[in-house]
Amino acid sequence: MKGRLEDRIFDGVNYLLLSLIFFVTAYPFYYLLVTSFNSGTDALLGGAYFWPSDFTLENYKTFFNDSKWLSALFMSIARTVVGAVTGVLFTCLVAYGLSHKGLVFSKVYFSLVIFAMYFSGGLIPYYVVLRSLGLLNSFATYIIPGMLNTFFLLIAISFFREIPNDLKESAWMDGASELKIFYRIILPISKPLIATMALFVGVGHWNSWLDSAYFVRAEYLRTLSYRLIEIINQSRVPQEAIEAAAGASSVTSYSLQVTAMIVSIAPIICVYPFLQKYFVAGIMLGSVKE
Amino acid sequence: MTADTNTTDAKPIRSSLVWKRFKRQRTLHLFVWIGILYLLVFAYTPMFGILMAFKNYTIVQGIKGIFTSSWAGFKYFIEFYNDYKFYDIVRNTLVLSFLKVIFTFPIPILFAIMLNEAKNMAFKRVVQTASYLPHFISWVVVLGLSFTFFSSNVGLINQLLLDWGWIDKPLPILTSPNYFWGLAVGSAMWKEAGWWAIIFLAAIAGINPTLYEAAQIDGAGRLARIWHITLPGIRGTVVVVLILTIGSILGGGLVGSNFDQAFLMGNAGNNDTSEIVQTYAFKVGLAQGRYSYAAAIDLVQSVISVILIFTSNAIARKVSGTSLF
Repeated sequence: MKGRLEDRIFDGVNYLLLSLIFFVTAYPFYYLLVTSFNSGTDALLGGAYFWPSDFTLENYKTFFNDSKWLSALFMSIARTVVGAVTGVLFTCLVAYGLSHKGLVFSKVYFSLVIFAMYFSGGLIPYYVVLRSLGLLNSFATYIIPGMLNTFFLLIAISFFREIPNDLKESAWMDGASELKIFYRIILPISKPLIATMALFVGVGHWNSWLDSAYFVRAEYLRTLSYRLIEIINQSRVPQEAIEAAAGASSVTSYSLQVTAMIVSIAPIICVYPFLQKYFVAGIMLGSVKE
Repeated sequence: MTADTNTTDAKPIRSSLVWKRFKRQRTLHLFVWIGILYLLVFAYTPMFGILMAFKNYTIVQGIKGIFTSSWAGFKYFIEFYNDYKFYDIVRNTLVLSFLKVIFTFPIPILFAIMLNEAKNMAFKRVVQTASYLPHFISWVVVLGLSFTFFSSNVGLINQLLLDWGWIDKPLPILTSPNYFWGLAVGSAMWKEAGWWAIIFLAAIAGINPTLYEAAQIDGAGRLARIWHITLPGIRGTVVVVLILTIGSILGGGLVGSNFDQAFLMGNAGNNDTSEIVQTYAFKVGLAQGRYSYAAAIDLVQSVISVILIFTSNAIARKVSGTSLF
């Protein structure tokens, strides 16, 4: 009754392969964690695959005592928070205007939005525009150019269109301004949408690296991503690791790199359950429009 | 806003109605205009900026210089064609793009089918949850991971292979041109396969379960059921995703990561196979300050991409009745 031999072999092979896939995706993160809790000099000898062979908190202590890393961490957090809040509010405001049923000229507006979604001038002219506007080398470099997300704009529009019209209508009759309707009525009942957008826009900011590496120059504006690229490129040179190993501290440039990677992954893991809750809807909307 | 427009229009009643509606909606229009203004500055001005590929543009001229600088015709395109790196970077762009589509397109489908066949819910959940975690991790961290696993001094893989005596000296995976394409395709697959499997899993979930029951009664085995029910059942989704992939092929297809990978994992050692059109344009523009030349290089790729978008869109409309625009 348990099924045929063919099916049992199939199940066996399938579970084996899936376990292998699980190992390949999950183990790298686990190995990083192990290495970050291992003494840096000991890690260079290898061998600590599943458990730190010389457990230490030195790597984290060094990381969180280094003003360069702290400043980078702070800058990453700042741009993520400010970027997500402004991005969500701005995108929602424009979406609210566009979502109005019977908006005159809406065809023109939508064509402009859709065209901008599919075509771009490329990185070079974009850089020239930012430069000419004086948007390089400041905190605004991180925030302003990414404030309107056309993908989420369309999602927000379809979300706002589901809101019953009576709600807006009655507020309008009472003499409330559109701006007031927007933040008193629309935003509060759009919490799921706002949460989704904030998470995705925030993750985008947190992971962004090109602007931090090429659009800013001031040291205080460097983000975690930039510092990570910097340290990885340093440890490419084998000499570096050996020199650090010869020093008094057990922390090497490599163990510091791994620790920084963990610090950079940790917030993503923390919001992961929330991301998961929403993204299936997001990916469906984004890729297959029926 | 003045109120005296449209008074002499041929259709005065209709026009005044539009005007009335517009006046009622004026705050909403203001919201929209802020957004449109934003798009004009950050999306449309760069599009006009493409003009600089045909001009002798220098950065000190600012935005105005895009229009006022002298014409150069196709000078920069000819220069790109004669660039000693032309052959390499065009080949790398094409090879990377096609390799990624060939390998990263079927894997999520296969993975989705495998997950669907696993009947242990807890196991399935754990495997799937882990599989799309890498999607949310930045390419910079993936660069770090590549270092952790493949570098010749601390890389885990090299250490293991040395310990087991399979190799005599570390493989230069990160720094030799022989490994870059494999590294790029492999890391893209590792990062995005689980994410794209979601869409196929959703499609599989939409298949009528009675089909499977009927097939089982008829004596069809697991493989036969996958072949005759699952695969035909997700054909529509597969077609749509394939079209999307072809439209974005030069950026790396679904996984869309050619630039990040080539920029971050590319280095002096593997430059022969890692430099692609976009990274080359970026370096020529920002590092050497040759904006017109860089814009010309970028434009070559954009034109091919636009052609691909329109072609795949037209094919989509014909084949499946689904299209993007």
